[in-house]
This record gives sequence, C-alpha cells and structure tokens, in this order.
Amino acid sequence: MIFFTIPLDNQGHYFNINDGKTRQVLFDYRPFNKVKLKGILKVAAMVSHPMDKHGADFLYPSFSSNTIILVGGFGSGKTEVAVNLTKFLALRNKEQVTIIDLDLVNPYFRSREAKDEMESMGIRVIAPRGGNAYADLPILLPEIRGVVEKREGLIILDVGGDEQGSRALGSLSSAFIEGQYEMIMILNSRRPFTSDVNGSLKTMARIENAGHLKFTGVASNSHMIEETTPDIIMEGLLLANEVSKASGLPIKFLSAKGEVLREMNLITIGVPVLPLVRSMLKPWEKKTGGFRGV
Amino acid sequence: MAKKLMKGNEAIAEAAVCVGAINYFAYPITPQSEVAEYLARRLPEVGGVFIQAESEVAVGNMLFGAACSGKRVFTTSSSPGISLMQEAISYMAGAHLPVVIVNIMRGGPGLGGILPAQSDYFQAVKGGGHGDYRLIVLAPSSVQEAVDLTILAFQLADKYRAPVMMIGDGMIGQMMESVEFPAKYQDPPLPPKDWALGGARGRKPQVIKSLFLDPIALEKNNILLAEKYKVIRENEVRYELYKVNNKNRLLLFAYGMMARICQTAIDELETEGISVGLFRPISLFPFPEKEVYREVLKDNIERLLTVEMSMGQMVEDIERCSKGKKPLGFYGRTGGIVPMTEEVKGAVKKELGLVK
Repeated sequence: MIFFTIPLDNQGHYFNINDGKTRQVLFDYRPFNKVKLKGILKVAAMVSHPMDKHGADFLYPSFSSNTIILVGGFGSGKTEVAVNLTKFLALRNKEQVTIIDLDLVNPYFRSREAKDEMESMGIRVIAPRGGNAYADLPILLPEIRGVVEKREGLIILDVGGDEQGSRALGSLSSAFIEGQYEMIMILNSRRPFTSDVNGSLKTMARIENAGHLKFTGVASNSHMIEETTPDIIMEGLLLANEVSKASGLPIKFLSAKGEVLREMNLITIGVPVLPLVRSMLKPWEKKTGGFRGV
Repeated sequence: MAKKLMKGNEAIAEAAVCVGAINYFAYPITPQSEVAEYLARRLPEVGGVFIQAESEVAVGNMLFGAACSGKRVFTTSSSPGISLMQEAISYMAGAHLPVVIVNIMRGGPGLGGILPAQSDYFQAVKGGGHGDYRLIVLAPSSVQEAVDLTILAFQLADKYRAPVMMIGDGMIGQMMESVEFPAKYQDPPLPPKDWALGGARGRKPQVIKSLFLDPIALEKNNILLAEKYKVIRENEVRYELYKVNNKNRLLLFAYGMMARICQTAIDELETEGISVGLFRPISLFPFPEKEVYREVLKDNIERLLTVEMSMGQMVEDIERCSKGKKPLGFYGRTGGIVPMTEEVKGAVKKELGLVK
C-alpha cells in the first residue's frame, strides 16, 4: 500500500522521494483551507499556510507502508511529531488512522494527553485509560498486538524515548513483518545525546537493540520548543544528512513548528516537510485542562 | 556553550556534574527517575560514581558517609522517597554535613500519585526529621532556574556546612526548556573543608557525628546550629517580584511552576483592567519574611491570595509574615491537578469581589 501524500501542485503531480522522480497520479487531494470538519479547522489552516505562501514548493511526508513506528531519544519531540503526523494523515486519508501510545517510560507529556482532540477527528487512540493513564507502570495494552498484526488502515506507533522506551517495542517486535513497517528515528540536534552523528548513531543502535527492529529512515525534528529558530531547524537538517550518509537510511521528513517554517525558504530544505502545531503545552500556556479527563 | 533542550531532571543532573558533584546516590522514583538515567550514562564519562541504593533509607546514610569525605555528594528523589530519608537528613543537619537533596514532588499523602504537587512544603521547610534543625530550601520555577539553583545549592551547602534541599513539582522535573550551563564553572570563595575526614596523618583525629550524650555538648551543638540559621536568615533570602507596582489591588503569592501560571493569569487580568502583582519566594527557608511584610503593607494592596498545588501550606508562612495586615485568601488544587490560568483568574476576581 502506498500513500501519495506529496502534492507538488493541484494537478496531481507528486514527487517520490525514494527514486527522485516526479509523476502524475490521481489521488485524493483536498485543499486544506476548505476542510470544514468539526474540530480540525485549526490543524487544517495550519497545514495549509506554508503552501499558501510558497505555492507547492515543499513536499509532505510520504510512506511506503501502513505501519509507521516513531522512535527517538528522550526529548526528540516524538510525541509532538506523532500527534501531528497522525492528524495530518487522518486529514489526507480515508482509511482509519490509529495512534498507539506506546510510551511506557514518560510519566507526563504523552500522546494520550491529545486524545480528545484526535478522537474528535475520527482517529482511534490506543492508550491506557482512567487512572492507568497516569500510572508509571509499564502497561502494554493487550489489544496493541492485535491492532499491529491486523494491519488495518494506517497505524502510527509513538514509542517511548531511548532504549528504555524501546523495550516495549521489543516485546511486540514479532508482530511486525520486515518490509511492512517503517521505523523512523526522530532526531533533535539540541538534545545532549543526539547533538552529533556519533551520539545519534549510538542512540539508534541502542534503540534497535532494545526494540529488535531495524530503522528504515530518519527524520529531523531539531527544536527548542518555543525558542526554535530557522537556524536550529537547518542545523538539525545538516545533522540528519550526516546521519543519513553514515547509516544509509533516507531522510523521511523534516518537522518543525509551522510558525517558524513560515519564515523560511522551504525550497532549500529539499526533503519532505511536516509543519507542527504544538499540542503538548505547559500548564501556563493553556487556559484550562491539565491532567484531567484522559 | 550552545543552548540545549533539556528536561528539568536532566538539567539538574548536568548542573551537579558542572560543579563537580560526581558522587550520586539514589533510588528511582517517578517523576524524577531521569536524573538517575542521565547520570548512569554521564557520570562514567567524568570519573564519577552513581550507586543505586537498595532503598532511600540507604541513600540517606550513604550520603552521610560520603559527605564526611568533603567531596560534593547529592541525591534526588520524589516525595515518598524523601520521607524515607528524613532520619538521615536530621543526622546530617546535626553533624553539619554539606549535602544537596532534590525533591521533585508528586501528589501525596502516602504513595499518592505520580503527577505534580507542592504538598511537601511543610516537610521541606518546617522539618520532616526530628530535632532543632532547618534546611536551606530553594524552589525553582523554570528549568534554567533549576540549573542555577542546583549550582547555588552546592555552594550554600559548602558555605554553611549544611544540607540544602531544592524542591520542584513534578512538572519542573518533566518539562523541557532550553538551558545554558556555565562554560567554565568556578566556585566562589568558600571556607576550607578542614573538617573533612581524609586520614589523620599529621593532624589530630576528628569525628563527625550527631550523637552528643553530654547534655551540655548537645545544647552547644543546638546553639551552634541556631547561630548558623540566623546568619542564613540574614544573608540568603531570595525572591522575585512580577509586575508589582502601586496600581496592584491584589498581591499573589506562589512559588515554583505555580508562579509561572500566576504570571500568565496576571498578564491576562491586566488586559481586563485588573492590576495584580506576584511575590515569588525563591528561598523557602530562609523565607522572605521582611520583604513579604513590606509588600503587604503598601496602601494600594487590598487583599492577598496564595495559590499552591496543595491544600494550603506556604499560605501559613504568608499569614505569619503578613501579620494580619490584609485579608488573605487561598486557592489550591491537589492530586496532580494543576490550577490553570482561568482558575487563578477566577480566584483573583472572587477575592476582589468582582464575581461571586
């Protein structure tokens, strides 16, 4: 199954990042600013703005498999990427999109905190409920293996950070079939242990070892949350390039805050781009909510 | 040094490494286990030692023993773990040992939950262990401040030969913010550690202990401690004011992350024409007693409001220091529920009689 999610224009031209060729295909292209589904207007507007400003001069991420595993070091921003990618794919695909919160190591800031918003978009969210949502117990929900083995629709796994977090993946590894999943390393050059190529490769090796699965790509998500600048984004892309060269893995996409991307010339990026809307907010950045109602 | 994005817990760990505190004893507990995770990887790089003890009781006593060497030692834990260390903390205070203890607080009492709380204020500030002792208590409200105060904690511990505790709610430990560390750290002038036990060759043997069976000797130690706390009270008060001016109708009191939320609430209230200031104690002991009183006395201040992630603990110190001069209200949430901006705004308006 191939998802064509990289419009170059509204005539159906798309760019295949694997062979570097441009093709014209028929696919379901919905102009985002016309999406009127309840609860997704904010996301839709955000996703559309870089295109509004720059025309179709950047590529959206595409995947050659319907199971996408997002892994990274602590603080790489996996959860933010996972939530945004899930919402993005749910907007662009008619199939059921499922996100599995496999973060067994972080006690706060997990994708389950964005559950309500995602569910309002028709996304299936698999995460511990009730009091267990706020437990520091390694709860591996029994239905996860079933969902992974059935391979229905599009499945995104948000795995906990580093090798500690990836152990949960290791216990599920037999449910994945080689060639039928993509496992992407989310890199943040501003994090202590992944700020250079060696550190990144070491972290990746440790994650592969614990997760019993091999990476198929890397993604650059360099950020300093609210202090992210274009320079930090480009610094991350350079790191991703070096990691890509050293590991032989393709750069699947670059993700960054939409507001910062807007200031940049996205042609220079040269890899697919996923604009982000922050959903993991600190308590003083939101009016209400907090640790309630998960 | 380029700014890095770090979790509060990691930043605290790196700050300790920065000041040469490479002797770390701990037992994992949410929401501060990342300190141990980080140091397990980081300490071998700098020739340090991390011993995962069999319990927090053991941690406390390892700290006692290791601190006698004069080397910088520290631990981190969360509420229930800190409770288990109280006996050793009292011993270390009694033995005049410089130690740094970090409490990344979770909801209590008992095992409680793993979400953020500020309900260990009494334990940290008013005692916890037995005997006439105090801890210097520092409370950061950002990841950068957690770094700065960790560094300060080691300096104060050495300066006063006393245990120093830093307390932050779970959010301070778990959230990520950009941080910067000193490129080349250097200690300010500190007293020599001639009390340390490093072998008695060439000098008289010395003993570090908290046991004094002779009542005169024990009272002498208590007087020595009390004199030390007096000096600390005079010299180590730290606090911050936010938008405090002569238009404020109400003065908010909050520390740690709660102060950040109050700042947002103050900004938003300002746009509604309601002027509120914030008094944020940074040192909880010594408490900014005179400074609180000075701000409370100002004519424009009609009412006071303390906001905490507890059922009301620091509010007792505000009550004590404001000496009943202005009506004092309290708003708090517990269980890991963080009072959000809207709730703080609501509490302010209610206090000022603007809403029912």
